[in-house]
Amino acid sequence: MRIAVCAPQVPFVHGGAEILAETLVRELRERDHEADLVTVPFKWYPGTRVLDQAFLWRLLDLTESDGRPIDIVIATKFPSYCVRHPDKRVWVLHQFRQAYELDRTGLGQFGEGPPDRALRRAVQRLDRIALGEAKRLFATSRNVAQRLERSTGLAPEVMPHPPQELPYRCDEYGDFVLSVNRLDRAKRIDLLLEAAALDESLRVVVTGDGPDRQRLESLARERGLNGRAEFTGRVDEDELASLYARCLAVFYAPVDEDFGMVPYEAFLSHKPVLTTTDAGGPLEIVEDGRTGLVTAPDAAALARAAGRLRDHPDEARALGRAGQEVAARVTWGACIDRLLS
Amino acid sequence: MRIAYYSPLPPERSGVADYSAHLLPALHERLDVHVVRRGRTRPVRGVDLALYHVGNNPDAHGWIVDALRKRPGIVVMHDFVLHHLVAGLTIGRRDGHGYLDAMEREGGVVGRLLAHGVLDKRIPPLWESRPEEFHLAGEVLDLATGLIVHSRHVKQRARAAGYAGPIWRIPHPAWEHAPVERAHVDGRPLIGSFGNVNASKRIPQLLEAFARLRRDRPEARLLLVGAVSPGFDLDRRLQRLGLSGDGIAREAYVEEARLWSLMAACDVCVSLRSPTMGETSGSVIRQLSLGKPVVVSDVGWFAELPDAVALKVPVDAHESETLYAALELLARDDRAREAMSAAALDLVRREHELARAADLYLAALEQAAGGADVADSVLSDVAAAAADVGIEPESPEAAELARRLAEVELGR
Repeated sequence: MRIAVCAPQVPFVHGGAEILAETLVRELRERDHEADLVTVPFKWYPGTRVLDQAFLWRLLDLTESDGRPIDIVIATKFPSYCVRHPDKRVWVLHQFRQAYELDRTGLGQFGEGPPDRALRRAVQRLDRIALGEAKRLFATSRNVAQRLERSTGLAPEVMPHPPQELPYRCDEYGDFVLSVNRLDRAKRIDLLLEAAALDESLRVVVTGDGPDRQRLESLARERGLNGRAEFTGRVDEDELASLYARCLAVFYAPVDEDFGMVPYEAFLSHKPVLTTTDAGGPLEIVEDGRTGLVTAPDAAALARAAGRLRDHPDEARALGRAGQEVAARVTWGACIDRLLS
Repeated sequence: MRIAYYSPLPPERSGVADYSAHLLPALHERLDVHVVRRGRTRPVRGVDLALYHVGNNPDAHGWIVDALRKRPGIVVMHDFVLHHLVAGLTIGRRDGHGYLDAMEREGGVVGRLLAHGVLDKRIPPLWESRPEEFHLAGEVLDLATGLIVHSRHVKQRARAAGYAGPIWRIPHPAWEHAPVERAHVDGRPLIGSFGNVNASKRIPQLLEAFARLRRDRPEARLLLVGAVSPGFDLDRRLQRLGLSGDGIAREAYVEEARLWSLMAACDVCVSLRSPTMGETSGSVIRQLSLGKPVVVSDVGWFAELPDAVALKVPVDAHESETLYAALELLARDDRAREAMSAAALDLVRREHELARAADLYLAALEQAAGGADVADSVLSDVAAAAADVGIEPESPEAAELARRLAEVELGR
């Protein structure tokens, strides 16, 4: 089949969503489908730019390409699912969260004036229409599915996606907690730094880059974490696999996250995940005392949890192994079968 | 966001007053609501939007239309047929010409002539004899910048009348009631009918069907709750059908608590209507929230109820027979009643929760208050981009852009 995978592109930003779309194309090709990635740059501010940019997708004609029909489009993330196609399937990674659960939080985008309130509603209406057109609708986690059902009345099937391919392995349960994430406020990496400030024997390694990096580095300095908090910036695949292989545990606690591949990557490296009770999607696979530790979203509780794993490496190993069994069940073969059925 | 809220309110006795009394606390939690004092028609300053509750009763809603004339806004259409309201606003205020104009606007010359017939008392009032043919909603629709309706039926009728503005459908919220103690009313089964006792509630057909049911089921009882409308001779009808003995239980207007308790006592509730003004029945909503199987007329909003919760009786030559068959089925089949009861409670949970209705109001009002700015901004961006690449405003390409915008409701 000829399949177009649609995903927005934020120039100079490359994260989990981009990796998913690229990997999906590759996996489809490996199964003898003719697949290609279709992207359109996305800028969601200021004002109604979010709608203008969504509308660009509406103008694309993906019914055929170069004189030959495109059988299926698979869209992943707002606003790519606004695309029109008679056989549109959507695997929702993200709605535009600022219009939903992030509204009226520090991470929101819309103000209190009537135009901003109406703009938020227009995004929601657009979602209802565009997602309502999908022949099959999937969500990457129960959290995303529930949000989608609450906001649009549509009931997607839950289908997690496998993490990126890396040479996963476990070399040891070392002396540091690893954070793998884009550095922005919603990812709440400051919580990990504050925990390190409370436990002088706790070391943390923060990978990734993003707009919050400067603030986080300043915070680490202010808390006197010199030498105990290392910011690596973006690392290549081998280095990332090596960090996973050597760490004690992986910290992953964004606010009400959709899904996130990091817990799966940690599990494939036999590492437990430290997360918080308000992290959303990760809680679907990080079970307290079984595949990781789930704490209240405060630094002291997180510091205690990290200390517990450091003092009991056998427990870290057992949790990581249980996680590995969970992650091994999520395969590309099963996902693609469902997407195309 | 701050809104001016125009509605009848208790102690006025009307369905819309009850509706607003129920809705307002939930709206206050979400919005800054200024409830406008009855009779004030001068526009309220410092609000983003005005919300007008309009129904067919001129005593309850006349002043609200006066206010709407001074400042257009969002109209909650509790009825689609507003003929009685318009008659009150015109003939009731000694403005015969206003009535002639309203009828001409909708019915052309024929309408004007009929209106003359009404003014000269040559023909019966059209709001009683032919309301469905002349809804007279035109002026209110003209003044409405957006409509809130409870049913697809009213939405379709508004569109059929040429209304092109935004319409939001918000189901009538159900009442959350404390556990209700059943009133002591005998009857096996006990069948209840709540509301005015008159021909448009199909009471003659109900009495006929019930009389037949009682021949085989002498313990059956019909509970009629509500005032008898002037000119409707209930006693004579009961006598003629042999129902004047203990087959009928009667209560006139009852207070809310007694109403719930009487409904709770019923095995089946019947709510028939023809003609319909497009109204939603607060009574049926109450009955569903008590998990009562209901029998309704197959018209308007009533026809939109899921088949699992309501038996629907077409308004035709066989109305009494169909109604009898429905009552007989529900009288003999306990499992059917139980299934309908469960479906009713489920429907109320899914569709009619107060919080859901209030959230839908908030969404509608937010769209209404700022939606035009948003649409203008998007259209201006798209138009500028189109012009940059040489797309002329009247070209087929521009039309295609407009179509695509409309598809996702980004146009105006």
